[in-house]
Amino acid sequence: MKKISLFQVAYKNLLRKKTRSILTLVGIGLAGWVLVSLFGFNQGYEASLNRDIDNLGFQMLVIAKGCPYEAATLMLKGGTGLKYLKEDVVGLVAREPEVEGVTPMLMQVVFDPNKGESGGFSAFLGVDPKTFPTLKGTLKFHTGGWFTESEAAEAVFGYEAAELEQREVGDSYLIPEKNVEVKVVGVLERTGTQDDGTIFLPFRTVQRVFGISNELTGIGIKVRKEADIAKFEEKMYALPDVQVVSLAQVKTTIMNLVGTARVLVFSIAVIAILIAMMGVVNTILMSVMERRQEIGILKSMGAQALDIFKLVWLETVILCLAGGAVGSVLAVGTAKLTDVLVRNLLPYAPSGGLVQINVRLVLVTLGVVTLIGLLSGIYPSWRAGRLRPLDAIRSEVES
Amino acid sequence: MSMKIKLVGWLALGLAAAAVALYAAVGCDLNDPDRDVKRLFPESTSYKTLYVSIAKKGGEPLLRKVESRLGDTFKGLYETADVPYTMYQIFRGEELIGYIHGVNQKGQYGGIQVFLALDTKGVIRGFYFQKLTSKAAKLFREPAFGAQFVGLSLKDFEAYDVVTGTEDPPGRVGRIKNPDPGSESDFRAALRGAKKNLILVDEFLLGSPGAAELKSPSSIQLGVQP
Amino acid sequence: MSAPVPPAIEAIDLRRIYRRGAEEIPAVDGVSFSVDCGAFVSIVGPSGSGKTTLINVLGCLDNPTSGTLRLGGQTIFERGKALSEAALTRIRREVFGYIFQKFYLISTLNVLENVVLPFTFYQKPGAGSEVDRLLKLLEIDHRRSHLPGQLSGGEMQRVAVARALVNRPQILLADEPTGNLDTKRSEEIGRLLKDLNEREGLTVILVTHNLQLARQAQRIVELRDGKIWGRLP
Repeated sequence: MKKISLFQVAYKNLLRKKTRSILTLVGIGLAGWVLVSLFGFNQGYEASLNRDIDNLGFQMLVIAKGCPYEAATLMLKGGTGLKYLKEDVVGLVAREPEVEGVTPMLMQVVFDPNKGESGGFSAFLGVDPKTFPTLKGTLKFHTGGWFTESEAAEAVFGYEAAELEQREVGDSYLIPEKNVEVKVVGVLERTGTQDDGTIFLPFRTVQRVFGISNELTGIGIKVRKEADIAKFEEKMYALPDVQVVSLAQVKTTIMNLVGTARVLVFSIAVIAILIAMMGVVNTILMSVMERRQEIGILKSMGAQALDIFKLVWLETVILCLAGGAVGSVLAVGTAKLTDVLVRNLLPYAPSGGLVQINVRLVLVTLGVVTLIGLLSGIYPSWRAGRLRPLDAIRSEVES
Repeated sequence: MSMKIKLVGWLALGLAAAAVALYAAVGCDLNDPDRDVKRLFPESTSYKTLYVSIAKKGGEPLLRKVESRLGDTFKGLYETADVPYTMYQIFRGEELIGYIHGVNQKGQYGGIQVFLALDTKGVIRGFYFQKLTSKAAKLFREPAFGAQFVGLSLKDFEAYDVVTGTEDPPGRVGRIKNPDPGSESDFRAALRGAKKNLILVDEFLLGSPGAAELKSPSSIQLGVQP
Repeated sequence: MSAPVPPAIEAIDLRRIYRRGAEEIPAVDGVSFSVDCGAFVSIVGPSGSGKTTLINVLGCLDNPTSGTLRLGGQTIFERGKALSEAALTRIRREVFGYIFQKFYLISTLNVLENVVLPFTFYQKPGAGSEVDRLLKLLEIDHRRSHLPGQLSGGEMQRVAVARALVNRPQILLADEPTGNLDTKRSEEIGRLLKDLNEREGLTVILVTHNLQLARQAQRIVELRDGKIWGRLP
């Protein structure tokens, strides 16, 4: 080897003050970690939300009119207070020309005193065996199959619900509080959605077990492709005692809500990056000032101002790239932890991974961090390039 | 906009309610370790949590050994070698005073979670059904039922056959009373769960080779009680 | 009859004045002298006499305030017209090699890397083939993979000399090269400079306050208060 590259000189310069280089790298790494995690959350949340909503299979939901927050809270706390709508609404909705299909649903929640130290809830979703699979379109079974008849005392378990209850096809299951036995006929494949924790029963069975006649908690609607959704919503609003929720709207609204939070967190990430940038500028500048004499010597050897600029700039870029890589690795490694953290913080989180980090995201973040490095390095590099060799060397001997 | 938010709120909570039945773990953790440890060991001041599985600690040979000691094979979709087990080491100050461990067991009508509180020698000092789906659940969860297990250890279960539900020669396990003869299946499931629980604690923590390795586990979570 | 060879360096009435507030300090005050190609000249003088300032100006590390400077017959400075830093750099890398009292080796590069460092910025055609010979000549070949921290003072200075010579300069400027060395190493460096001059035909200008070292040169010029005081025997 009869030549040493500028990159090698830059890289070895960083090794001179290892502690300082490492600390700067860690600062950039932390900023990179925040960036990647944030972008990953951004991607993951939207993807999971889309998947959850798409998984429902229908684009609209008709539910009973009333204050939904109140209903939902009461439902979670005491299993009562659910709002019901009359079963004959199904017929009213189905006959509309825009409707391709409808599926009635009845959810019930029971308090199981034998779950945990002080009891817990179990939820059951009553569905129409005929229409639910058609509208859903995506029911895959791990073992067994769908209900055999519309009022059977049968249950289909989501994968994780089956795991918890240790249920297999052919086993019995006891509905708590009601002490009614049903037979397990199917266990669904794991989907990563809310279905995994759901216990499905025919809705007529749920009506019978829970003593609810002619009432439902919701109707899923599949609208024809060519239908005017806005016009159809208007018609549905005209129905007494019901309200229509368009899931596209839900998605948009949730994303708007999340988006506001996202902007806030993004701002914090930007501030973190600016602080890291200042750290980089300071470190490199300090390093340049310490190496004045050496830079002078390099110039005496034939290095032009641009060569010195490139050398110092390279040091900055190496630091930022390495820091960005560390941050990306940290983000990937802690994605699961971030997922758990975010899930605990958010009032609503879709099932499935909340933090999705892929190669593209890592590359984009590395690009951003490198760009920041390039910008941070300009001033110190320019200062270094401007040093006159004599000014740099002169300090040693005046004779 | 406020109407939309309400609708969204309902739907979101509705979706969440459907997911109430969605549980995080396939293994068997205490639902509220801080509270439960204090209840089972009132004199404790802290605990450590260890995560193990048969697959990771010994693989196929260990599975065979456990099955042989149990007198029954691991069955079904959910009783497998890679099921994670959570073992709690209980401390009073620096002193180790006991263990808590739970296992999933298939019951007649749903899952059963059998937790045992043990002293450092593996003797039962507490019996707790964290989950029990049974027609006689109320009777099984009475303190009187669990009290029958206090003072028993793995040695007492060695003569008990989990498949036939008999004990030869007759011993203390055979004298445990079933509070509801109509729920024989769940009663036997509770005993099988207890025996399996004790065997796993013995394999991972107390007696067998490989236990020493677990005492310095790679995954430790420190829980300090208020 | 062939044309006469111009001097390697020629200075005519060279001045370098520093301004400290309202005060003007003439560090080099009307110096005229020349150095022929292949000559070895020492510049001596007491502290503050302007030796380093003079060598800096001669070596194009600094612009003179006034006067004329020619290198190999080519006028570089005249009539106080300052050259840009970029222009000075181009001249420096063609003509000069420098060694100083401090060795200025890069601590994270080994001996070979330090020696070939100038090639990173500029490499004269054919210069690369001389590296091995240079390392052997300066007796540092066996240390080529060592770091500066593993070398003695004398070895470090020899690495600095090798680095200064790797791009085949015409003139070697040495400013107090033995200032950080003991007597034995100083003598070694002195002999080395003499060898380079006699065997390689290198033009050497040495600034030192060490008379014994200065005597290695063919000619000694004494400087006092920025002026040439005389030649020493």
